[in-house]
Amino acid sequence: MQQQDGTDTRDDAPERQDPGEQEEQLLPQLVAHLREHRTRLRQEWSNRIQAAHLLEAMTPQEMAAETTSVYDNYVEVLETGSVEALQHYARDLSERIIPRGVETHEVVGIVLLLRDVLARSLFEKYQQELGLLNRVLDAYEPAANRIANTVAVSFVEERERVIRQQQDAIRELSTPVLPVRERLLILPIIGVLDSERARQLTEQLLTGIRTHRAKVVVIDITGAPDVDQTVANHLVQTVDASRLMGASVIITGLSPKIAQTLVTIGVDLSKMNTIGDLQGGLEEAERLLGYAVTREEGANGP
Amino acid sequence: MPVSASPPADAGRQSEPPADVAALIPLVRRIVEARVGNHPAADDLVQETLVRVLAAASRVEPGLLEPYAIVTARNVIASLWRQADRQRRNQHRVVDLRPAEEPDEQVLAVEEQSAVAQALARLSDREREALVAHEVAGEDTHALASQTGSTPGAVAAQLNRSRARMRVEYLLALENADPPTERCRPVLLALSSGDRRRQREVDAARHVLECDLCARLSQPLMERGQQRDDEVHISVTSDADVVAARQGARELASRLGFRATDLTILATAVSEVTRNIVRFAGSGEVVVELVERPRRGVRVTARDTGPGIHDVEQALADGYSTNAGLGLGLPGARRLMDEFAVVSEPGHGTTVTMTKWLQEG
Amino acid sequence: MTPGPALVSILRQGAYLIASVHTALDDSQMVRFQDDLIGEIGRARSRGVIIDVAALDVLDSFGSNTLRSIAEMARLRGAVTVIVGIQPDVALAMVKLGMGTGSVPTALDLEEGLEYLDRHVQHSPAASARGGERSR
Repeated sequence: MQQQDGTDTRDDAPERQDPGEQEEQLLPQLVAHLREHRTRLRQEWSNRIQAAHLLEAMTPQEMAAETTSVYDNYVEVLETGSVEALQHYARDLSERIIPRGVETHEVVGIVLLLRDVLARSLFEKYQQELGLLNRVLDAYEPAANRIANTVAVSFVEERERVIRQQQDAIRELSTPVLPVRERLLILPIIGVLDSERARQLTEQLLTGIRTHRAKVVVIDITGAPDVDQTVANHLVQTVDASRLMGASVIITGLSPKIAQTLVTIGVDLSKMNTIGDLQGGLEEAERLLGYAVTREEGANGP
Repeated sequence: MPVSASPPADAGRQSEPPADVAALIPLVRRIVEARVGNHPAADDLVQETLVRVLAAASRVEPGLLEPYAIVTARNVIASLWRQADRQRRNQHRVVDLRPAEEPDEQVLAVEEQSAVAQALARLSDREREALVAHEVAGEDTHALASQTGSTPGAVAAQLNRSRARMRVEYLLALENADPPTERCRPVLLALSSGDRRRQREVDAARHVLECDLCARLSQPLMERGQQRDDEVHISVTSDADVVAARQGARELASRLGFRATDLTILATAVSEVTRNIVRFAGSGEVVVELVERPRRGVRVTARDTGPGIHDVEQALADGYSTNAGLGLGLPGARRLMDEFAVVSEPGHGTTVTMTKWLQEG
Repeated sequence: MTPGPALVSILRQGAYLIASVHTALDDSQMVRFQDDLIGEIGRARSRGVIIDVAALDVLDSFGSNTLRSIAEMARLRGAVTVIVGIQPDVALAMVKLGMGTGSVPTALDLEEGLEYLDRHVQHSPAASARGGERSR
């Protein structure tokens, strides 16, 4: 912030580490080097990402576009010292890749890889002058760490925002009863169930069975952190009432802890069709529906 | 006022009306005019009233002839409106469907008039005087209060009590009945005045179940009170009443904004407790009322005069059954409702009180 | 059956009987319905019975028990019974009351009920002969 030199057009450079007189020239030098070898370094980075099996949800084209942007943003932060643009970009990127299932460790991973690739390149360039190399790395490292930190934090924040948004959306949905395919409903129970919410879910499910003419219902309670006695009773009543309407119910995502609760309060789990995970539940549902279809064909046959 | 043009002597076609009846003519005319104005039938109405008063004059106590004439005039006018209404509704028909005045009707009218007279006679002098002064002579409560050194509010309350008593005495006179128990009059009075606190104090609901006369008399008294639209009474004697009770409960509760699920739950619970009455007691009643406190909701009271339940605790336990396969009645209803209480007196009957609160928001 | 607008109707459809309840029934009407239906199963030698209760706004302990006994008696007479059309709030109230249809199968509606019978009545030898007749 303090000693700007006249040759540079930076206007908002924040505090610099190690503001020695010669060091003032180090970062611009470094930036020039990274710009000069942009294509090669970016390619090297891309290769490392592939080798580490990161971002596999993205196509090669997307990969190329995103790595180029990250690279340029990275260098820009080194040059200007301002992370604002990067922060913006990182959020934007996260928003695009979170729905694709990209995880935090992947994002942190690629940034650390870039940090590594660039550091190696600097090492190569300055290895003849050890003293200078030390000073270059001293200038580079704090900036690079800040970049990694910024990207990771932006990503995590964005992810939390998306999750919150999704939770709100699910809560706001007038019907969380999702018709997955003909005659099949999924009721994902997410978040804390108080008895009022349990009541609403029950009513929505039962009405949903009628409107969608559902034959099989999968109630997934993976997202329910806890199930107390009241909620468990609601669940049992929902299963029984669905059955009275002619729909079979499969319960998935029953954690051992919740199963324990149910047994303790006297719920007969053997009367319930419970299956470990949602995937298995859907397969069982298909089987139930498929079974019906086969039999129907048989009945219409000779 | 064309009516005033016709001389009162018109009434004279009845040979020699007794002097006191003739004296009523201006009064009757005033009443008729006040209600029908210059309706072409006004004269006829006056005539008819006087004929009826005359016919009853010998049976009416001398002091009561004036109020009697007023009540009669009102009745005559009311029946004119009824006829006019019937005519309007039947106007499009070709034939005249107006039923001829039946001799029975005449007899009924006479009976009714004498019942009114008897009822008035059973009031205390003070009550009667105040009531007549207010209803007949049209003196307002302020005037009455200043006459008796009381307040208008106290006079109004006293008048209300007098009217309530008058209704009870009128019905008793009409039935020509003497109350069989000492509880009858207080109960009927409480019902007539619509005072619910008093009704609870004298346990009116249970007495009405046990006493035939009061059951009969309470009907017209309650019908008056039925302007209250936050309450439904269903008397229960047969299977069909089970359906009526649950439909009544459903309809009343839906006005409060209960959601469909809760309406069905309520109706099912009412069905269970009402069936218990039919099965185990033979007869009883179900009262459904909207309550405001402590929260908004619906309260159902099911009373019977059956043998009672000896062990309420046991009756509420699951699986208890005195009638094959029907053991779910009480415990089932309890599970469906938010509040549930059973009071039973062996030999006297059972009262089930249960409440469903409105889930708001 | 009953004077005035019919409270219930019982129709023959091939080897099946379709009984529909059109309005709320009191206990004696329910019992009469049971007697009529069981009689009809015998007369028609039905193999399957569908009871459509979509019009019922309440199925209390007596109603549920009657449906169960009908199914049991029908079974003794060689017919499979399926109950269809229980409304969502009726189903919930039944469960909260502590009632169910026991072992009597249920289906969403008439169509599903017929499909159920087609699947389950086939299993008995007598019925498969009849099923053969039906498809001829």
